[in-house]
Amino acid sequence: MTQADDRLKALFAQDVPPPRDAAFNAAVMERVMRQRFREDLAMLSGVSVISGGALWLVWPTLQTALVTLSQGLAPALGAVALAACAAMVLNGRPSAALGLHS
Amino acid sequence: MSPASLDETLVAAAQGGSADAFSRLVERHQQAVRAFLRRACGDWAQADDLAQETFLAAWSRIGRLKTGASVRAWLCGIGYNKHLTAVRSAGRERARAQAYEDARDETLDAPAEEKIALERAMAELPAEQRACVALCLAADFSHAEAAEALDMPLGTVKSHVSRGRARLLQALGVCDDAS
Repeated sequence: MTQADDRLKALFAQDVPPPRDAAFNAAVMERVMRQRFREDLAMLSGVSVISGGALWLVWPTLQTALVTLSQGLAPALGAVALAACAAMVLNGRPSAALGLHS
Repeated sequence: MSPASLDETLVAAAQGGSADAFSRLVERHQQAVRAFLRRACGDWAQADDLAQETFLAAWSRIGRLKTGASVRAWLCGIGYNKHLTAVRSAGRERARAQAYEDARDETLDAPAEEKIALERAMAELPAEQRACVALCLAADFSHAEAAEALDMPLGTVKSHVSRGRARLLQALGVCDDAS
């Protein structure tokens, strides 16, 4: 490298930003996160629209099946719901509530 | 761990979706990208905007970066394309010239005359020549690395660097002791 090159390099060195710049880093990552959020939102919107459309298409068939199924399973579902309520009321500790433990 | 292998590790993690790894890549390469864009476009504020856009584009395209490729050259290549797009867009060239003058006025400290002469000479270079000079003379890129970054043939880069260097030295009134 010649003296002329050294001189050019010294002058160019005055343009160099700091080796670490937290503000610049934060600004970039904020934009990256915004972009990521927009991409996620677009994907979820797309999935929602497609799912909605698919549900609309199969709803006549699904509705009949659900009615039939719910009539058959109603007693069992009722029992499960009752058990869930009991568990909530007993705070998840049925054995303690029944006095099986001290 | 060497800088290159650290870059490879960070790139692999970023390709897997790690924002933390990408943040470290930004931290490691922001200086080189911003310095290159400052020299390429002359306007520091615009250069920093372009640098942000460069990293944003890099995040979207990180999956396409090949294993073992120079991250610094890849980022500078994206930045150079952003710069060219900005220059080509309507009215940007005139705005750039004005902004260049404004930026020049803001940085009048230290050895001002030489610095101004260098900046003026840089502004007068064609965009491709300026980019080659900014990478090879100011940022220690090899000719091959600059050719990769700017997507130019190696011979073209060498020719741009040689001509640009001569014009800068002439503008500074420096005797070229290499010739």
